[in-house]
Amino acid sequence: MMQRVWMVAERDFSVTVSNKGFLFGILLMPILICIFVFLGPRILNARSPVVKGQVAVMDATGSLISDVRLDLGPLAIAARSPPLGVPSLTARSRDAGPRNPLRKDGPPIPSISVVEKPSSEDLRVTKNWLVQGPDGPERHLAVIAIHPDAVKRAEGRSEYGSYDLYIASRLDENTENVIHDAMRQALVSARLKDNGIDQTAVDASMQVVRPVSVTVGVDGEHETRRGFARMLPFLCGILLFMGVMTGGQLLMTSTIEEKSSRVVEVLLAAVSPLELMWGKLLGQLGVGLLMVVVYVGLGMLALLEYSMAGLVDPMLLVYFVIFYLLASLVYGGLMMSIGAAVNQVADAQSLMVPVMILLVAPYALVPIIGQNPNSTLGVAMTFVPPVNSFVVLARLASGTPPPLWQVFGAMATGLAGAGAAVWFAAKVFKIGLLMQGKPPSFGTLVKWARMA
Amino acid sequence: MDTALEVRGISKAFGNNRAIDDLNLVIPRGATYGLIGPSGAGKTTAIRVIMSILFPDSGSMTVLGKSSALDAKNRIGYLPEERGVYRKMKVRAFLSYIGRLKMGERSRVDARATQLLSRLGLADAMDKKCEELSKGMLQRVQFVAAIVHEPELLILDEPFSGLDPLSVQVLKEVIADEQRRGATIIFSTHVMAHAEELCEQIVMIHKGRKVLDEPMSGLRRRYDTRTIRLEPLDATTDLMALKSVAGVERVQLTDEGCDIGLAVGTDPAAAIRNIAGTVAPARIELARVRLEDVFIRIVGGGPGSEESRQALRTHLQGLSGVGVAS
Repeated sequence: MMQRVWMVAERDFSVTVSNKGFLFGILLMPILICIFVFLGPRILNARSPVVKGQVAVMDATGSLISDVRLDLGPLAIAARSPPLGVPSLTARSRDAGPRNPLRKDGPPIPSISVVEKPSSEDLRVTKNWLVQGPDGPERHLAVIAIHPDAVKRAEGRSEYGSYDLYIASRLDENTENVIHDAMRQALVSARLKDNGIDQTAVDASMQVVRPVSVTVGVDGEHETRRGFARMLPFLCGILLFMGVMTGGQLLMTSTIEEKSSRVVEVLLAAVSPLELMWGKLLGQLGVGLLMVVVYVGLGMLALLEYSMAGLVDPMLLVYFVIFYLLASLVYGGLMMSIGAAVNQVADAQSLMVPVMILLVAPYALVPIIGQNPNSTLGVAMTFVPPVNSFVVLARLASGTPPPLWQVFGAMATGLAGAGAAVWFAAKVFKIGLLMQGKPPSFGTLVKWARMA
Repeated sequence: MDTALEVRGISKAFGNNRAIDDLNLVIPRGATYGLIGPSGAGKTTAIRVIMSILFPDSGSMTVLGKSSALDAKNRIGYLPEERGVYRKMKVRAFLSYIGRLKMGERSRVDARATQLLSRLGLADAMDKKCEELSKGMLQRVQFVAAIVHEPELLILDEPFSGLDPLSVQVLKEVIADEQRRGATIIFSTHVMAHAEELCEQIVMIHKGRKVLDEPMSGLRRRYDTRTIRLEPLDATTDLMALKSVAGVERVQLTDEGCDIGLAVGTDPAAAIRNIAGTVAPARIELARVRLEDVFIRIVGGGPGSEESRQALRTHLQGLSGVGVAS
């Protein structure tokens, strides 16, 4: 019996992996990730044009205009802008210095010139300046009206005044933020000066460089990388989802194809329905496993490249394979029984809804459980098949993995779930394969399973 | 008697429709059996139950000494009524795969596949994908798939449907070879002439029930048509004059001449002599029994059923040229 099962599995595996569509599909995902991670930001930012324009300032304090002019200058803007993803530690520094080279990937720095308007001028007239066309090449970007008590508190008040900002209709958010940052910088600086406080001393006092922590383990020391650790449960969930989904879909379509091309009766003359089912299931398990191996392999190569391979526990890979196989048996079995019950892919859509819910629900749970791996929800879901394959992997990949008894408990309940799914699939497969005509409902499939 | 197949009281229903009803059948090894009956009679269901593709509601069977075909699949060849292949697979690979699934040795399977394909005029198709072949070619490929592993029991469901006369002839020769090799052959057909030509024994199924199970020779004796076919030497002869010949009950004109019905108890040899003495014949013969007539007599018998008999005859004649699911 096993020999025939292997023959069916071998054929299904080789036919699928030698298919151009599969090869394209398996390579497409890494290519898309590369585009998204490496080229995406460059493409997005490269398209942003440099904003050039004038900002009108009505300074009722009479002392802030020079600071505003300075803080809206390109060097001050550049100094305030942190490199991508790194919070600025020197945001208040007005020292120009060379522009941070990492800044090149961020949005371009706007070129803003300040036009002073008398504070006595009617605000409505100044606002009208915004809608008037520019005299020269520079657009009219904004009008800033600084309150009289913005630098010195008004008598009897504990709070400072602020400023009002009026912007032109098509001003981008980045330039607006630049103006707000510059105004904040100018006001804080002027207020400190007014109180006789040395801003340089304040800036220096506020700076505490946060060191990168070092994780000490039996395998030595390495820099702690929380970002990757946070991502790992999510990555495991995606990989599991992709492997299971691809394998299940292929299994369903190949079963429908065999049924609709009538070759299934020829096969059933040579193998029993159970042998055929197991052969197909094993073949597609292999296909999904191959895909996962390719992705995990590429991921490990990337980690090796950045000397981060030590962050992945080898046991996690072993557990991944085990729980991948359990999840694939459940979803593969269900998808194959759907394939056996219908005559064309379009008929399978309605039957797939419950299976898709079963597949998407744990996928949606993974980020929640990844955040708090040992919550009551996380522990409870560890024992509920077929969700538990996703949940237990998310917990294993987190910083606080579950105790071993829970992992083995998850394996036991997962195995029971897989057994039930394969039993159901075998019953439906046996009856459905030679059925023609109207596609059955999910209830009918359950009825078949009970009567077979 | 060494039996290849023994079916004991098998019944199978789909909902309220009883597809097979208490079927009993014993087929000795090496025999060629024809399973005949009109569309919807239950032939294909019976074959699927024999193959253990469908499972009976009641009854039991023995196939090549085993209680189920599942235990003897490697020794059975099966050509289903609904033809199917892997469209993207090459012919050689398909046959090799099916042969190996039947536990055939790869080199032996490949060699036999090559030899059979050549014999069936498909030598050039070996390295083509199945989807590139015509329907008739695919049918021949499937026939090869059914016998490539040298089965002991060969079950053919409508093997000739859709084939051109030349291919039908070659297929008949290959079937005869399989019979000579010692294979037991069961084939289901609507085309009564094929069954008459190839089978030693006929099993008729009607509405799920077996209505006839007899050797072809016995049928010829039992269902004597008492009809003499005459083609006159002179086409202008008045054939109605034959009505006056002793023993002649009726004369029915045909394109070539006439069919002459004899009264019960008339000696056919004497009647032929008398008829030939009355009208000079270009050809005169005793008409052989046709399964079609036997079938009509069995299922269309009974008083006042001439109309239904005629309808059944028309139906059977309509089926003769095409393969329709039963």
